[in-house]
Amino acid sequence: MKVGYYPGCTLKGKALALDETTQLAVELLGEELREIPDWTCCGATTPLTETKIANLIAQTRLLIKTRDAGYEALVTTCPFCFSTLRRANLSIREDELKRKRINTYLAEDLRQRDYETPPPPYRQYTGDIGVLHLLEWFRDTVGFDRIKRTCINPLKGMKVVPFYGCQLLRPAEELAMCDPENPTILEEFLEATGADVLDFPPRIDCCGSYLSVAKPEAAMRASYKILDAAKRIGADAIVVTCPLCFFNLDDLQPEMMKHYPEFRPIPVLYFTQLLALAMNAPVDKLGLESHKIDPRPLVEKYSVNISREVPA
Amino acid sequence: MIRILSPADRREATKRLMESSNQNVMICLQCGKCTAGCPFSEEMDLDPHQMVRMAQLGLLEELMNSEAIWFCATCFTCESRCPVSIDIAAIAEAVRLIVQLGEGDHFGPDDVPKDVSANAPQQALVSLYRKFGS
Repeated sequence: MKVGYYPGCTLKGKALALDETTQLAVELLGEELREIPDWTCCGATTPLTETKIANLIAQTRLLIKTRDAGYEALVTTCPFCFSTLRRANLSIREDELKRKRINTYLAEDLRQRDYETPPPPYRQYTGDIGVLHLLEWFRDTVGFDRIKRTCINPLKGMKVVPFYGCQLLRPAEELAMCDPENPTILEEFLEATGADVLDFPPRIDCCGSYLSVAKPEAAMRASYKILDAAKRIGADAIVVTCPLCFFNLDDLQPEMMKHYPEFRPIPVLYFTQLLALAMNAPVDKLGLESHKIDPRPLVEKYSVNISREVPA
Repeated sequence: MIRILSPADRREATKRLMESSNQNVMICLQCGKCTAGCPFSEEMDLDPHQMVRMAQLGLLEELMNSEAIWFCATCFTCESRCPVSIDIAAIAEAVRLIVQLGEGDHFGPDDVPKDVSANAPQQALVSLYRKFGS
């Protein structure tokens, strides 16, 4: 299946470390994932009301671009992109009115940069492009066994807790990613890297999401509860997939230390940073300088230079 | 000053919310699991299950005037836990939409402090403007 890579705007902006370590990990696996040409913003959220059909246009535009570039599916790392693209597909497939309206609009959309050449005829989009999250691609296309073999620097002894957040899991009937109350995919991934994965009940909680901008005190309380639990359990680091979880959990820790005097910082790592580390990527390639809470003391303990061939 | 709606107006309000959110609020059994799971129910002046009850009764003005609808992070824990699969986040969004049709942006680009907009990840701002902006 031809799969294109969709980083999304946040991965090329504030979450560059997530994009770069994704690409690095894919390279170290000996795989290839090419970015979808001329990709545009997915819109981040799914409209929950019936009349806001316009808020599905961004998602559909991107899925059409993916199809017209010759891909059968796209893979993305950002859970917001994953969730909204997956759900938009369902809306297009199941709701005739939305499908008609969005296709009518996008038929008029500018589809070429060159004003001389007429564009190819518009093909209706019916929801057939696959949407995968990187974790699913790791599990189903690459296989966690192969990932384990490529992790020549298994992170044995590093105690980590997985943090799923909300957009990867819910609503479960639409995302069909894993059990929303007892998911296992991120734990399985982390076990493949060799790290010690601790049991972490708050792993499916919400970090506060965009409320860290609109209602900062409330969101900080939600994030603090998660970090505090991670510290009590004895984790060395908390592993996330989402740039917004990362921001809420990492960037706001200095502020948290002011509000909660007994709070001690804990580093936050992207799952792909951990993977690249386990594949023996050099520490300076992991994008760790952008973190508010410096994970380098922890990461450097687990970084060794092993000179032996990577098994095929 | 809350206007007292007539029973006919209240039935109309319920119908409007149900059509907009595509949720059948009438099957809610008021079990409270949504409220128990909501990460922000403590900050809300109306708990999620109370919002559903008010939707059943067509008390649209009270819903529109609540702070609760602006504390929803659309994490869908409510929808996930509900035994009859009601998406309470969708109901909150339906109320927000009616407010925004009257007011415009509830929280738009001008409401974000400069240092926050410079640091926050793009997805936070895009999703915020889509949810709380007009």
